[in-house]
Amino acid sequence: MKLQHYLGGLEGLGPVNTETRVFVEPWETRIFGIHTAMMALSTHLPLPQTPSAFHTIWTWADLRKGAESLNPFDYFKYRYYEKWLGGISSYFIQHGYITEEELDALTEEYYADPSKSLPSSGDAAIDDRVVQYLVEGDSPARDVPVAAKFSVGDVVRIANVPSVEHTRLPGFLRNRTGVVETVYPGAYTYLCDTGPDGIGEAMTVYCVRFDPNELWPGNAEPNFSLYADLYARYVAPADVSLSVKAA
Amino acid sequence: MSERFKYREDREAYSAARVRALEALLIKKGIITDRTVDTVLEFFETKMGPFNGAKIVARAWVDPAFKERLVANAPKAIAELDLPDGMAGAEGEHMRAVANAPGVHNLIICTLCSCYPWPVLGLPPYWYKDPTFRSRAAREPRAVLAEFGLPISEDVEVKVWDSSAQIRWFVVPERPAGTEGLSETELEALVTPEAMMGVAVAKAA
Repeated sequence: MKLQHYLGGLEGLGPVNTETRVFVEPWETRIFGIHTAMMALSTHLPLPQTPSAFHTIWTWADLRKGAESLNPFDYFKYRYYEKWLGGISSYFIQHGYITEEELDALTEEYYADPSKSLPSSGDAAIDDRVVQYLVEGDSPARDVPVAAKFSVGDVVRIANVPSVEHTRLPGFLRNRTGVVETVYPGAYTYLCDTGPDGIGEAMTVYCVRFDPNELWPGNAEPNFSLYADLYARYVAPADVSLSVKAA
Repeated sequence: MSERFKYREDREAYSAARVRALEALLIKKGIITDRTVDTVLEFFETKMGPFNGAKIVARAWVDPAFKERLVANAPKAIAELDLPDGMAGAEGEHMRAVANAPGVHNLIICTLCSCYPWPVLGLPPYWYKDPTFRSRAAREPRAVLAEFGLPISEDVEVKVWDSSAQIRWFVVPERPAGTEGLSETELEALVTPEAMMGVAVAKAA
């Protein structure tokens, strides 16, 4: 069980941070740009081939898996882009693009001389593809026929699937009952196969409304509703056993 | 004693050097170019950003029929406007708008990560990415909104939308009172990212 999958409803955290800036340090802009380029160059996208040496898959799922695998104290301790820097550096090392030794050595050089310039090189086709990705996106919608099991107004129970590494099921909704608010037309994949957790293949997605008193009995504010978008795998009839057996 | 809650004294300088080293290596190895990161950042300064959301909301304020279409089918309604290419691009492939109204206040959250409608709002501010906000907003949205300086009375229904699948949500705030004489361009200036996510309301200048 990963705390990062169960953040909703956690108590005792103190006041929220109301910082409205996107980046609080100039260096954060660079890791954001690197991440976006990786997503654009990921081999799963049907975009034009470029001379880039990037030859693997990188999606939001990879970034999220990294954040979710952190020690939960570190997850709270480090800022958003600090976590990105750690996860993305590790990815390039693990996939053999760079070595930890050369990254460490070059870090020392830039630490000693922050004004030391970056290398200049590269083929413009790489940047064209990055822009094309931003403009076209990477829709999870798939043109496959799926039959929605539930309709608007149906009472459903959220499954307690065996999530191991990664999930799109907010933990505080497990085993809870809600009402279908929207059945999204079409079928939607996820960025990766989550294994026993059960998403990846195209399926229906529902928007489900929950009563906070059902989520946090006797411990929720009045007059509010919580809505979550949930893959069909996570949504079960209200009258069946709560657990989904691993396939 | 544990080092768990200590940071390096040179925390930012070290991260700055490390990210620069990483970018340098990626350029050297032909993974990205010396222009790639700047290309991405320029895109978010000019093509995708809250300036688009401001135009969408201002149009919804002056054209109630457009607002209805926006809530019914956000991508289709947004496509009617003269906005940059990419409004259905990265992180905007499946957007949905919810409109505030008397008696209803909407708040967008992402308890699992930081899903955010890039084309219309650009990149998420730090408050949205903060685990404390993401945890607390799911149980006590009014307490959280009060900390943002937005008290919401108990007779107003709060709707909290958790972005856990393909939809990227945004809020159409209510048009502030006293703005009847303003042009659409003047109205755009009143729309903030915070109002389009529900931690603020639009205010007359």
